[in-house]
Amino acid sequence: MKNISVIIRNLPFNTHKNAEALRMSVGLTLREDKVTVIFMDDGVYTATRTKPEIINIPPPVREFGALTMLKCKMIADKSSLEKRGIKELIENIHILERDEIVRTISESDIIIPF
Amino acid sequence: MESKDKKNMKLGILLTTSPENENTNTVIEISKAARHEGHDVSIFLMYDGVYNVNTKDFAGLAEKGVEIAICAFNAEQRKVAKVDGILFGSQYDHACIASDVDRFISFG
Amino acid sequence: MQNMVKNMTIELDLKGEVCPYTFVKTKLKLEEVESGEELVVYFDHAPAVENVPRSLKNEGHKIMGIEQTGDHLWKVRIRKT
Repeated sequence: MKNISVIIRNLPFNTHKNAEALRMSVGLTLREDKVTVIFMDDGVYTATRTKPEIINIPPPVREFGALTMLKCKMIADKSSLEKRGIKELIENIHILERDEIVRTISESDIIIPF
Repeated sequence: MESKDKKNMKLGILLTTSPENENTNTVIEISKAARHEGHDVSIFLMYDGVYNVNTKDFAGLAEKGVEIAICAFNAEQRKVAKVDGILFGSQYDHACIASDVDRFISFG
Repeated sequence: MQNMVKNMTIELDLKGEVCPYTFVKTKLKLEEVESGEELVVYFDHAPAVENVPRSLKNEGHKIMGIEQTGDHLWKVRIRKT
């Protein structure tokens, strides 16, 4: 069993990339590996309550739902949130200090910055 | 081709950018070098990475023994037609690559 | 009771689902199925019709049949090992 970390660092707007990173994370769980999704820098906006459907982009409800169902760990970097004044995230995202995020990354067998 | 005392390794590569990105050339050169050393190489293409199957140099890696799988869903979204020698697979194939390889590199 | 369970065919409607949710949901449903029993899954996502059975075979399950039942509609019969 491997530890796989998927890191989402960029804004979720004007792109399907972040939703695709989440879909990929769902897929990566299929061989019993442990997948952790990490939101940091501008990537933390992916885990906020945005309404992309207003501009005709499907919200990543299905992706987050599947990750929750598969008990995939989802974590957000506290300092990235503070810097942006983000107070609230969607459900099932754990807020961790930067050093804990770094530890998670350094303990991973595979790191995928998406 | 490979020296006998070297351990054969499995290398996995994820490519998510389209061919105009320099990642394509890097992936081609790394794959060729790894094959030259006798290592196994498996590449998974998803997102805009699926467009790479249309470039001759990239698709030619299959003839060098590189296993290439692509996310058929992303290919369908982008109207990328099937190419011989390339597996139009799923995220399950990506999970198999990640699970089976000794080293994994991501290009995005 | 055992016989009753054995005669039942469990069905799963995955119309509207794409990869990898097609496989994830099939895999989760198979966990509810007894070994040797059959699960029938309906797909309307063409890539899933090729890929889900191939992945399930890789996981050791048996594909009993793939049938196109309509325009962009397929029925896949799986026997759990």
